[in-house]
Amino acid sequence: MLQLNNVDICYGSFKALNDISMVVDTGELVVLLGANGAGKSSLFNAISGLHRPSAGVIEFEGRRLNGVKASTIVSSGVVQCAEGRKLFPQMTVLQNLMMGAFVHRRDRAGNRKRLNEVLELFPILDDKAGEPAGSLSGGQQQMVAIGRAMMSRPRLLMLDEPSLGLAPLVVRQMFETIKQINSLGTTVLLAEQNAFAALKIAHRAYVMENGRLVMEGDQATMLGNEQVRKAYIGA
Amino acid sequence: MNLFFQQIINGLTLGSIYGLVALGLTLVYGILHIPNFAHGALYMVGAFMSYFFMVDLGVHYWLAMAGSAAVVAILGVLCERLVFHPLRHSPPIHDKIAAIGILLFLEALVQMFWGSDFRRMSSPFTGIMNFDGLIIPEQRLLIIAGAFTLVFALQMFLRKTMTGATIIAMAQSREGAFLVGIDANRVAMMTFAISGALAAIAATLYAPINLVYPAMGHLVIMKAFVIIILGGMGSIPGAIAGGMIIGFAEAFGGFYISTAYKDIIAFGLLVLILSVRPQGLFAKGAH
Repeated sequence: MLQLNNVDICYGSFKALNDISMVVDTGELVVLLGANGAGKSSLFNAISGLHRPSAGVIEFEGRRLNGVKASTIVSSGVVQCAEGRKLFPQMTVLQNLMMGAFVHRRDRAGNRKRLNEVLELFPILDDKAGEPAGSLSGGQQQMVAIGRAMMSRPRLLMLDEPSLGLAPLVVRQMFETIKQINSLGTTVLLAEQNAFAALKIAHRAYVMENGRLVMEGDQATMLGNEQVRKAYIGA
Repeated sequence: MNLFFQQIINGLTLGSIYGLVALGLTLVYGILHIPNFAHGALYMVGAFMSYFFMVDLGVHYWLAMAGSAAVVAILGVLCERLVFHPLRHSPPIHDKIAAIGILLFLEALVQMFWGSDFRRMSSPFTGIMNFDGLIIPEQRLLIIAGAFTLVFALQMFLRKTMTGATIIAMAQSREGAFLVGIDANRVAMMTFAISGALAAIAATLYAPINLVYPAMGHLVIMKAFVIIILGGMGSIPGAIAGGMIIGFAEAFGGFYISTAYKDIIAFGLLVLILSVRPQGLFAKGAH
C-alpha cells in the first residue's frame, strides 16, 4: 500500500531523514518507534506532502506522492493526525469533525454516515459537540483529532504520538480505539514512544534512530528483542 | 444636542471606512501573518480605478465600485502570487520589505498615469437628509449602510459557507488546515482578493467626501494598523470595534478638542489601550 524507497529529507545542511526504505501493507498496523528527534514526524510530514523529500520515492497504492500537493494526498486517502493535535481551537467539536470531511464536502450523506461512525467510536464527543475544541481535556482533544482524521475517510491513517501527555488510563483507551480503527479496515501507521503499549497492538514495527531505520520486525520479534526491550520498553 | 448626534454620524462614517480597511488588513494578517503595508496602496488604487471608470469611461457609481473591487481583488491576488507566495519560506522581514516595495511601486504607477494632483470624485448621492435639524449627507448614510452590509455579508460568508470556514480554519491552525486537505494557496489567494475588494469598496465609498490622490492611503493604512493592534491582530470583531473606537474618538476629539489634533488621537488611544491591555481588545485570532 505505502512504499518508501531511499527517502532523504534535508533542512538546510541537516539531514533529518537518511535513506529511509519501508513498506506498509493494506490492513496492517505498523508502529514506528523512536526517541524524540529520531525523525518520525519528519517522515510523516514527507508522506503527507508537507515536506518535500530531497531524494527517494514515496508511493501510495502505486502512485508517486513526491511533489504532490498535501491537499491531493489527503484526497487520495493518506491522512495524518499530527503530534500536538493541531485542532481549530475556537471551532466547536462538531465543526472540527466536519472540517475533517473537507475533501469530501460534496458528499453530505456520506459525511453524516461517517460522523455517526466517528461518534460511535468516541461517544463522549457527542456530548461535547457544541463546545469549543480548545476547551476540552487533553484526552478529549486527542479524540477530536483522531475523529477529525477519520472524517477524511483515510485508507492509511498516520498517528503521530497520540498518547503524548495523556493520563495512563486514557492512553490505554486510546490504544484500544486505535486497534479498533485498524480492525474495522483502516491501515494504521503509528509513531510512538510508548513502545510496549504500541507493540502490543501492532502487527509489525520499525525502529528509527537519528533519521535512519535501524531495525524492523513483527510484533513477537520486536517484543522479544533484547535491544528494543532495553532501549524502548525499559525491561 | 444635534451637534452631539452630528458627531455620532461623523464617527460612524469614519469608523465604517476604517473598519472596512482594517478588516482586509486583519484577514490577511490572521491567515498569512503578513503585515501588508501595501494595503493602503490597494485602497488608493481602488479610488483611482473608480475615478477612472466614472470619469474616463462614464460608468455609473455602482458599476464603477464593482469594477474597482474586481480590479483590486485581482491586484491583491497578483501581489500574493508574484510577491508574497515566493517569499513564504523567507524570514518575516522579507515580507515586510516586499510589502513596502509594492506600496512604492503602486504609488509610482498611479502617478505615472494620473499625476500627483488632487482630484474630486462625484457620486450620485449628493443630497442632504434633514432629520429634525440633524443633517446627514446621503453619501455618509451610504458609507454607514454599505459598511454594515459588507461586514454582515462577510460574517455570513465566513460562518455559513465551507469556503469561508477554510479561511477561519487557516487562521486558527495553519497546520490543522493542511492536515484536513485545505489548499493553502487557494485560501491565500481568496483572502487577498477579499481584502483588496474591501479596500476598493471603502475607497469608493469615502472618495466622494474626500479627495483622490496618490498618497491618500498613507494615513488610512497607519490608522488601520492602529486599529488591528487595538482590536487584536487577526480578529474580525476587533477590526470592526477598533475602527469604530478610532472613528468616534476622531469625530468627538476633532469637535470637542480641536481638529488639529484629530489624527493624533488614534495614536494616543493606541498607547493608552495597549498600556492597559497589551494583547489588544479581542486578541483571540480571527473568528
